[in-house]
Amino acid sequence: MSRLGALTRVSFKSHFGLAIMWRRLFREKKDRWIIPILAISFIGILPLLFGMVIFIQGAYHMLKQLEMERAILDMGIAVGQAVILLFGVYYVIGALYFSRDMEMLIPLPFRPSEIMISKFAVIVVSEYLTVAFIILPIIITYGILARSGAGYWINATIVYLVMPVIPLALIAVPVVAMMRIINISRKKDLLIIFGSIGMLAAVLGFQFLMQRVASRNISTEDVTAFLSSPNSLPARVRASFPPVVWGANAIYGGFSRTGLFYLGLLLGTSAAVFGALVILSEKFFYGGVVGLNEIAMRKRQLTGDELSRQISSGRRGVTAIFVREWRIMNRTPVFLLNGVIMVILFPLLLLFLMPSGTIPFAAIPALGKTAPSVLIAALFMTICSCVNGVSSSAFSREGAQFSISKVIPVAPREQTAAKFLHSYLMGALGIIAASVVIAIRIHPKAVNLMAALGLALTASALLTAVGMIIDLARPLLDWTNPQKAIKQNLNVLLAMLADIGIITFAFFSAMILLMMPLAPAAVIGGLFIEFAVLAALGYWALLKFAEKRYREIEM
Amino acid sequence: MREFAPEIRGCSGDHVIELTNVSKSYNRGKVKAVDNLTLTVKPGEIFGFLGPNGAGKTTTLKMIVGLLRPDTGRIAVEGIDVLADPLQAKQITTYVPDFPAVYERLTGIEFLNFIGDVYGVPRQARIERINKWIGVFELATAVSNPIQSYSHGMKQKIVLTAALLPAPRVMVLDEPLIGLDPRAAYQLKDLFREHCEEGKTLLFSTHIMEVAEKLCDRIGIIHKGRLIACGTMEELRTLGQTEQSLENIFLELTGK
Repeated sequence: MSRLGALTRVSFKSHFGLAIMWRRLFREKKDRWIIPILAISFIGILPLLFGMVIFIQGAYHMLKQLEMERAILDMGIAVGQAVILLFGVYYVIGALYFSRDMEMLIPLPFRPSEIMISKFAVIVVSEYLTVAFIILPIIITYGILARSGAGYWINATIVYLVMPVIPLALIAVPVVAMMRIINISRKKDLLIIFGSIGMLAAVLGFQFLMQRVASRNISTEDVTAFLSSPNSLPARVRASFPPVVWGANAIYGGFSRTGLFYLGLLLGTSAAVFGALVILSEKFFYGGVVGLNEIAMRKRQLTGDELSRQISSGRRGVTAIFVREWRIMNRTPVFLLNGVIMVILFPLLLLFLMPSGTIPFAAIPALGKTAPSVLIAALFMTICSCVNGVSSSAFSREGAQFSISKVIPVAPREQTAAKFLHSYLMGALGIIAASVVIAIRIHPKAVNLMAALGLALTASALLTAVGMIIDLARPLLDWTNPQKAIKQNLNVLLAMLADIGIITFAFFSAMILLMMPLAPAAVIGGLFIEFAVLAALGYWALLKFAEKRYREIEM
Repeated sequence: MREFAPEIRGCSGDHVIELTNVSKSYNRGKVKAVDNLTLTVKPGEIFGFLGPNGAGKTTTLKMIVGLLRPDTGRIAVEGIDVLADPLQAKQITTYVPDFPAVYERLTGIEFLNFIGDVYGVPRQARIERINKWIGVFELATAVSNPIQSYSHGMKQKIVLTAALLPAPRVMVLDEPLIGLDPRAAYQLKDLFREHCEEGKTLLFSTHIMEVAEKLCDRIGIIHKGRLIACGTMEELRTLGQTEQSLENIFLELTGK
């Protein structure tokens, strides 16, 4: 195998953790319970996928009457490219500059361009997985409905495979240049925060653009109007990003002269842009990455008084663990973004996306009634409290440092209580942000808002305990990149599934109570007691489980 | 391979650390890391733990401090069973791993405060000890900086400072001299002796024969998970029946 081939193979194994997953599942026979859970999750996605296909089918038939059906293809490619661009920033910066294996690769006899190519290949495959859910249903449904021939399917496959190259290369070029400059100042953490907030702003802008054409209830007619408008999103993306047109034309044209011409144009441009990136990386890539992990130290000796002031007077174990959790969370950019900033941004994002008059709640007649309105507000607050992965990565975030937690003389239940408090406060931050959004947008009565707040805070305690139990069952402690602890941690996904289950259970409990001839206060009170009991049980189970797991987990 | 069963029995007596028939295997029993190990360390003793790579040294140390659970056998620190009453055992023991385990996002002083808090070190004692050890390890200019900015050796020093801060009755150290500059290594050896003169006990693993030979009151040699020799330097020489260096004895016992 060539040097580049070997490097790329190792990069894939390391990034996707395939070898570890294989070993754990089939050799050590651990984690086998994940397979049915993933299967159930996949089955859960099927109705959504089915809905998408029905939706695309409807839009196809409507547009066909106007002879504009290929706008669906344009739309698919345009949205796919936009998603690749958005996620690309994150993937490119993460893979090229913040993966720990760079420290091991640089001393090895590889050319900078070889490392760049291997990393680029990993990002391209990540993008295939990211956009598959958006693009494949469109391409496949369109192809079947249009009874397309071999040219369509072959070109569509090639376009799908090549599609991420141009946007990713166009992202990578400025990133490589920017990192070369930024590395002089060694402001790595700042860059992650600004880069990620920049990405969030881009997502927000994209959502805003979408929202301009989206109505309260998106119907097939709306989509038709949206696609056929000269100012539509696909039209805008097409105008500013020609590869979208080339890709769509190549697929639509099949083996015709036009189809092959655009396919050639797409392939040629992709090769040229990628070549430019390889040449650029040969010159600048190492300049941006070498020494990036070095942090400048202030060399000043503290005076005796200064040192004495910094020495604490002795906290209790629980407080010490809580302070540690708090500091590490706030000082690790990827934890801060996903745990704290996201919790505040999520409700604000919804606020931003809901201009007055388009709030779906306003259309619900039941909202005028006390109990349903409080329950809907509490539901919204609870969802906002659990969009972060703080509780479901509470143990995983410690990584190899969990060995410290194992040897210190603080009881597992105390350590877990401190972590619970921290995770719960993060959730509460989301609930408070959601209450502000509700107060601004819906102007509920203070007493109703307080009732919803009480319900959400109680439900959030249960969700926090469940998230922590899931993480404690199989904490991801062997990461080398903190991103893996929270962003690529399966426990976060599993906890979200559990949250959906609990919220569904809450929904049915509420429905039963609402059907009974009870006063609103009794309905809310009943649910409050139900959640308080469940939260207390969840917390008790968590502490018991912690006693067991702290002994079992080996480092 | 030569077995020295009588000498191994000679390791018993008054003891602070006591391992009795301890075994530990990995990969569902396929790899035996520690095999029926019996070992004792006396009060005020510096005990050196030697062995080739993969002999079971780190596994043994990790079992003593509670990072790993033995499959069979009993481990006690000052008579406290580490499995039955882990918190009490941890309260009197500190551990320095072979690779510095630290919270890189905390500053040095924050990390030391954390350790002081969890071990319940009073403020005055904390001030005195931190001042002493950051002076010894030349960390005074670094201690208010994030640990992320430290070199490997500095991280090792802050971990050692943290391990010394509670003034533990038992210290367990895995290759503590790795990564230290010659001055710090020299001071650490002095400090080991000082620590044990106060009646405290120290168990450490090392690959540096010279350090083990000069510093340790007793030495245990572990090979393929079994303790194959244990005793003072003199006793080990008797085993070899010549005036050999520890290095030669080690090579002879572990089969070159």
